[in-house]
Amino acid sequence: MMQHRLSSALWFCAPFAVLIVLWAVLIPYFNFNPRLFPLASSVIQAGIEGILDGTLIHHIGASLLRVAVGTSLALLVAIPLGIAMGVSPVVSAFLTPLFRFFSVLAGIAWIPIATLWFGYGFGAITFVIFNAVFFIVTYNTLLGVSTIPLHVRNAAASLGAGRWAMLTEVLLPGALPNIVTGIRTGLGFAWRGLIAAEMIATNVGLGYMLFVARDFYRTEVIVLGMIVIGVLWLLLDRLLLAPLERATIERWGMVQRA
Amino acid sequence: MKNLTIRNLSKTYFDPYAGTNVTAVHDVSLDVRQGEFVSIVGPSGCGKTTILNMIAGFIPHTGGEILLDGRPVKGPGADRGVVFQSFALFPWRTVLENVAFGPKMRGVGKAEREKIAYEYLALAKLTEAAGRYPAELSGGMQQRVGVVRALANEPDVLLMDEPFASVDAQTRMTLQEELTRIWQEKRPTVIFITHDVGEAVFLGNRVVALSKGRVLEEIAIDLPRPRSWDALNDDPRFKELSGRVLQLVRSA
Ligand SMILES: Nc1ncnc2c1ncn2[C@@H]1O[C@H](COP(=O)(O)OP(=O)(O)OP(=O)(O)O)[C@@H](O)[C@H]1O
Ligand SMILES: [Mg+2]
Repeated sequence: MMQHRLSSALWFCAPFAVLIVLWAVLIPYFNFNPRLFPLASSVIQAGIEGILDGTLIHHIGASLLRVAVGTSLALLVAIPLGIAMGVSPVVSAFLTPLFRFFSVLAGIAWIPIATLWFGYGFGAITFVIFNAVFFIVTYNTLLGVSTIPLHVRNAAASLGAGRWAMLTEVLLPGALPNIVTGIRTGLGFAWRGLIAAEMIATNVGLGYMLFVARDFYRTEVIVLGMIVIGVLWLLLDRLLLAPLERATIERWGMVQRA
Repeated sequence: MKNLTIRNLSKTYFDPYAGTNVTAVHDVSLDVRQGEFVSIVGPSGCGKTTILNMIAGFIPHTGGEILLDGRPVKGPGADRGVVFQSFALFPWRTVLENVAFGPKMRGVGKAEREKIAYEYLALAKLTEAAGRYPAELSGGMQQRVGVVRALANEPDVLLMDEPFASVDAQTRMTLQEELTRIWQEKRPTVIFITHDVGEAVFLGNRVVALSKGRVLEEIAIDLPRPRSWDALNDDPRFKELSGRVLQLVRSA
């Protein structure tokens, strides 16, 4: 098992390793203009500097904090709301189109109106993340609750489950596969939305770091930022979200193992 | 005594597609005494599930009354345990937690309810499977869990709706024999619904034949217990009773 995990992790990293080697070899070989694309070594240099003087950590911290706050707030509202909506077939049928519509809009499209409402800074960006997560998770929760078979709810009721137990023992775990999927998709949108919003609406964060570096032709900082953004997302997804999905959903047999 | 009394029960559905009312259950009366095992048998569509769902409180009845221990039934409750044809286990709970669910709802502490659950799991030879999830079990094992989950809550009446219809024939016979054994040991009151005449006779103290939403006749089953298929397959009395029920159900 451990061995299997290790080898699949190696396989995952292999194409990146190839890419980096090509980069390290080809850019110097063709004597590429560093104002258009940086050397691998100068990106590493920029990374080390950013860590040592604390700026990189500062930007990462700001971005992650926004994601954490926006996502937590969204989940706090979305899950109870989704469950409440899902319990009633009429309400859920009525609201489903609305939530689908806003799920599509999730993320970047909210940036202009967010800056109008909240001004530049933490509020606007958190709002963008909130929306990216909120609509998708609400919609998925609603979907999850309405897919719980009626006889499972009936079984709980005839075993003595009251309203509260029905919520915590049946509706919530029953909708969890969909909720987790919703969080995964929502966070994906939120992460992209975050970077975009940070380019426009703030003076700290990974998006901002990227955007400002452009003004000074610091391609090594731009590429560094892109790498950090990608790596952070992969870590979040692989180390937090995917295991969560595995630990619950697959074991429960509620979705087919891929 | 926790007797179940059903008087002049009826159910009329509104069929939204046809725009008409459909009466699925007409004027059904039935008395079930504590500790009795009553089979209700009838062809597909004769209203068996409808009757059971009304007793369970999952759907309201449109006429008559259902009294458990003298009190009218309103909605589902722990006094009436249900075993579903589709098992209806909680996929997110282990076998042990599924069986301990009822006691948990009653507020029984963790150690105590797990002890109860283990006792019932042993009864159905499921001790080994305690830590597994329903998706990891065969259909026959899942339904054993379904049965003991309902039993572990010690309901006044156990309602079973074609619980063995979706397992293969051999497993079904084993499950039927296990059920009679467990019934003798715990003596729950059971209403067992099936369209299989042999099953109804094999299990019941009494068979109620149903057709088109009406009770045709009740037949007492005086076969000795413990019952096993080995003994009953060629038993003349079993054949005679099955023949009578079959004739009733088919003639209607
Ligand atoms: N929700 C409903 N709305 C309208 N008609 C219904 C509804 N449920 C059941 N019926 C009708 O009531 C009748 C009895 O159905 P019921 O499910 O009780 O039969 P059954 O004896 O359990 O059949 P089976 O052996 O196939 O399970 C059928 O004619 C069915 O079409
Ligand atoms: Mg039925």
